[in-house]
Amino acid sequence: MALNKDVYKAFEDVVGPEYISNDPAMMPAYHQVQFAAIILPGNTAEVQAIVKLCNKYKLAFRAVCTGWTGMFPPDIIYIDLRRMNRIVEINEKNMYAVIEPYVITAQLQAELFKRGLHMNLKGAGSNCTAMLRGHGHLDQTTSGDDRNHLAIEWVTPEGHIVHSGAAGSVDEWFCGDGPGPSLRSILTSAVPPGVTPGVFTKAAIKLYHWPGPTRFPIQGTSPNYSLSAIPANFMARYYSFPSVEKMWNAEIKLGENEICFELMGFNVSMVAANITTSNEEDERVFQEMNREVRGPGFFVIIAGNSAADFEYKKKVLEQIVGENDGQSLKSVEDPRIEGILLCQCIRVSASIRETFRAGGAFNSIPVMGQRDLTIRWAVGAGKAKEPLIEKGLIVPDGGAFFGWGVEQGHLGKTEIFCKFDPANPVAKEAVEKWQQEQSKRAFDERYFAMTMGPQDEIGPALANYHLWWKKVTEALDPNHTSPDAGALV
Amino acid sequence: MGLEQYKGDMGMCCRCSCCKFIPMQQVQGHQYSTVCPSISRFDFHAYSGGGRLNIGTAMLDGSLKYTDKLLHIVYNCQMCGACGVSCNYAMDMEVQEPLNEIRIKCVEDGKTNPALEKVIKGLRKQGSMVPAAGKRGAWASGLKLKNVARDKADVLFHVGCLTSYDKDMHKLAIATAKILKKAGVDFGIAGDNETCCGGRAYQMGYEKDFLRQAKKNMAMIKKAGVKTVVTACADGYQAFKVLYDKFGLKKDLEVLHISEYIDRLIKSGKLKLRKKTGMAVTYHDPCRLGRMGEPWIHWKGKKIPGDRFVFDPPKEYRRGSNGVYEPPRDVLKSIPGLRLTEMTRIKEYAWCCGAGGGVGESNPGFAVWTARERIEEAASTGAEAMVTACPWCEKTFNEAIKESGSSLKVYDIVELVENAL
Repeated sequence: MALNKDVYKAFEDVVGPEYISNDPAMMPAYHQVQFAAIILPGNTAEVQAIVKLCNKYKLAFRAVCTGWTGMFPPDIIYIDLRRMNRIVEINEKNMYAVIEPYVITAQLQAELFKRGLHMNLKGAGSNCTAMLRGHGHLDQTTSGDDRNHLAIEWVTPEGHIVHSGAAGSVDEWFCGDGPGPSLRSILTSAVPPGVTPGVFTKAAIKLYHWPGPTRFPIQGTSPNYSLSAIPANFMARYYSFPSVEKMWNAEIKLGENEICFELMGFNVSMVAANITTSNEEDERVFQEMNREVRGPGFFVIIAGNSAADFEYKKKVLEQIVGENDGQSLKSVEDPRIEGILLCQCIRVSASIRETFRAGGAFNSIPVMGQRDLTIRWAVGAGKAKEPLIEKGLIVPDGGAFFGWGVEQGHLGKTEIFCKFDPANPVAKEAVEKWQQEQSKRAFDERYFAMTMGPQDEIGPALANYHLWWKKVTEALDPNHTSPDAGALV
Repeated sequence: MGLEQYKGDMGMCCRCSCCKFIPMQQVQGHQYSTVCPSISRFDFHAYSGGGRLNIGTAMLDGSLKYTDKLLHIVYNCQMCGACGVSCNYAMDMEVQEPLNEIRIKCVEDGKTNPALEKVIKGLRKQGSMVPAAGKRGAWASGLKLKNVARDKADVLFHVGCLTSYDKDMHKLAIATAKILKKAGVDFGIAGDNETCCGGRAYQMGYEKDFLRQAKKNMAMIKKAGVKTVVTACADGYQAFKVLYDKFGLKKDLEVLHISEYIDRLIKSGKLKLRKKTGMAVTYHDPCRLGRMGEPWIHWKGKKIPGDRFVFDPPKEYRRGSNGVYEPPRDVLKSIPGLRLTEMTRIKEYAWCCGAGGGVGESNPGFAVWTARERIEEAASTGAEAMVTACPWCEKTFNEAIKESGSSLKVYDIVELVENAL
C-alpha cells in the first residue's frame, strides 16, 4: 500500500526528507516486506509526532532497534530507531545508565567497565540494543528481564509521552516503580502474546559492580582474538557431571554460596562453538570434547573482588564440584581457551557462533522458571531431537539443552534449540513439529506453559492472562496502530 | 556465475547488525565503535553490509527493479571490506565477494554512475584513473632510474595513477625511489609505459576493464622479466597481489607493498634509519593494504547437502586476519625518536579513509565526511600527524583537513622513512 503524497509529506515534515523512504529498493534490505514507509526519527518528539500521525491516518507502526528479530506485517510504518543512539547519562552513584534504543550493549558495557560497573548481557548478544529485556550469561549476578529496567520513557500507541517510576515525578531515573507511576505490569516485553505496544524511547538500566579490568587485554586479529593474560582474580572453567541430578545439585549449592560471577549451563557443543572460528573446526572440537565430558555440565566464571575473595570462591567451587563428582574440562583450563571464553561470555555473548553459524537458523524453546523442573522437561526434549539428528535434519549436538541460574539460582532459565538449514523445507518442518510437540508436552505434563503457544488453550490455565492483556492493549491502542510485538526488537 | 554463486552466502545473513560495528570485543566505548562509513552516513539498513546482501538476494530472484535509490545504495559504499571482517568473526559466509558482484551486475546491466563512467572512459583512453595531464613518468625526470622496458632490473616499482599524475603526490614516488636506491635495490620503473593496475576499476564494478588492465600489466612484467613488483599504493598492492591472483593472472610474481619491502630492508640491515625525530604519530591502515590485502585463497567446491553451510573441500574464508599490519608499524618503530600511538579502530577493523569504491569520484562529499571521522579519531590520540601508506588516503585526508581546519598533518610512510635516512 503506497502512502498518498500528502500523508507521506506529513511524515517527511517530521524527520526531513533524508530520513524517510518508501523506495522499493529499501524494503528487501529490511525484511523482504513492503512497508508503507521506513522512517528514522532522531528524538522522542519525532517518535511522538510519527505515532500521532499513525493514529491520525490509521496506519499501523512498528519500532525496531538493531532489528534482529521480528515478524513484520506489510504496509506498516517501520520506525527504525537507529538515530536514537545516545547514552544520556551514566549515574555512577546511583548505579544506573539512561540510554536511547540504539545504544548497543558492547558500547555501554565498554563505558561501564571504565567506571568499575557493568550490566546484564543478553543472550541475543552485545551487538543488540542495551535496552533489550532478556536473559543471558550474567544472569546469575545481574538477574534478567524487567528486573534491570528502572524508569522508562514510553511513547504510548496513541502518542502520549509517559515517564514511569522516578522519572514520572522528578528528573531522576533510579526506580521503575516510584515515586512516579509504576507501570511494571504493562511495560514489559515478557508479557505475551506480544510485547508492550508503543515505543520505548529511553530507559534506565540497572548497573552492577564490575570487579574486572577497565578493558580486556585482547591480542591477535579477528577471528582469532585471545587474551594476553587472564585478568587478576578471574577464572573460567567448564565442569561436567555424571548425572543431571549431580549437576543440578552443584548448581544449587553454588547459588546458595553466591560465589559465581557467571553460571551458564552450557552443553559442550556450545563451548565448542564459542572457541572455534569455523564450522569444520567446531565439529571436530565438539567431537573431542564430547568424548572428554562425563555428562551434562556447566560453565563457570569466578571473579574475585580481591585475591583473598578469589581464593575463597575458588575453594568453595572446588569443594562443591568435588562433592558432586564434577570434572573440569581440561581444554578450558588452557589459558588461551579460558581467555576466549571469558571474552565470548562477558563481552560478546556468544549467540551467533552458537546458533547461526552452522546452518543460518535455529528454532528454540526458552523457558523461565524452576531449573529442576525445566531441566527434567529439557531432558525429554533433548531425546526428542535425536531422531532428527539421525536423519541429518539438524546439527548434531548430542541432544543437548542448556540453561542457567538467575539471581544466584533461585530462578533459572532453561532453553533448548535445533540448528538447521532454513533452505531445507523438510528440516524446517521437522524442527517446527518438534517445537510444537515439546511445547505441548511441557503444558500437558505440567512443566510449564509456553505462553507464545496457542493462547486459547494455555490462557485458561493461567488466569486467562491473554484476555486481560487483550483488554489492556485495547485500552492503550484503540486505533490498533501498534500490532502484536510492537515495541522494541 | 556472478552473483548467483553467492546465493547461499547471502541467505546466511542473520541480520545481527555486527557488520555495522567493529568486532564486539574491540569496542572500547560509545565513540569510534562503528566500522561501516556507509550505514554511518546514510542510516538506512540498506546501506549496511547485511542490508546489501539482502538486496543481492532480491536482485537474484528478480523481485527488485532498478531505482535511483538502489543505485545510490550500490555506489555509496567504499567497498572497504570492514563489514565482512566483523561478520566473519562469527559467521562462515562470503560478504565482500557478493558486494563486488552486485556492482559488477549493475555495470553489466548498464546501471552505472555518471562520475564513474567518466573515470572509466579516461582509463580506456589514457590508462589512468585520474586525468592524465602530461607524461606518466615525468616525476622521474632527472632521477636516472632504470626503465624496465629497456633495462634489466630485479624489481619493478609500480608507481600508480595518482602518484604519477598528481604533482602533489610526486614526492611519494621520489621518496620511494630514493629509499630503494639508498638500500642498493636493483629496481626499475615503467615510466611512460606504466598503465593503471585496474584495481580501482574493479572496485567500481568494471570487471572487464580491470581484466584488460591486469593482462596488460602482466604482459609487460613478463616481457621485462621482473620477478618482484613493489607498489607504494594500497590499491595497486591489492590489485597485483590479490585480484590478479583471484583471476589466475599473478602466477609466481612476488608482490610487496613498499612498507613490507622497507621493513625487509631494515631487518636485513640493508637500510638504516638514523635521523631522529620527536614526532608523535598514529598509523592509518589503508583498507587494501590491511584487511583487503589478505592473500587470495583459491577454492572450488560444493556445498555438502545437509544441516550446515559447509563445503567439500572445506572452504577457508578470508576474514581479514592476514593483511599487512605489522610491517608498516615495525618500520615506524624503526625511526629513531618517533612515538607511535594507536587509534581505537586499527588493523582489520580500521575505519576507511573514504576514497575507496569510487566514492571519491562519485560522492566526494561522502568521501570527505568519512575522512573527517578518521581525522578526528587520529587527533584524539594526541598525535600531531597521521601516517598512511596509500596516496588515495593521503589525498582524501588532506581534503578533510582543509575542510575541517584540523591542525593534524598527514604523511605517507615513505616520507618519514626518507626523512630518517
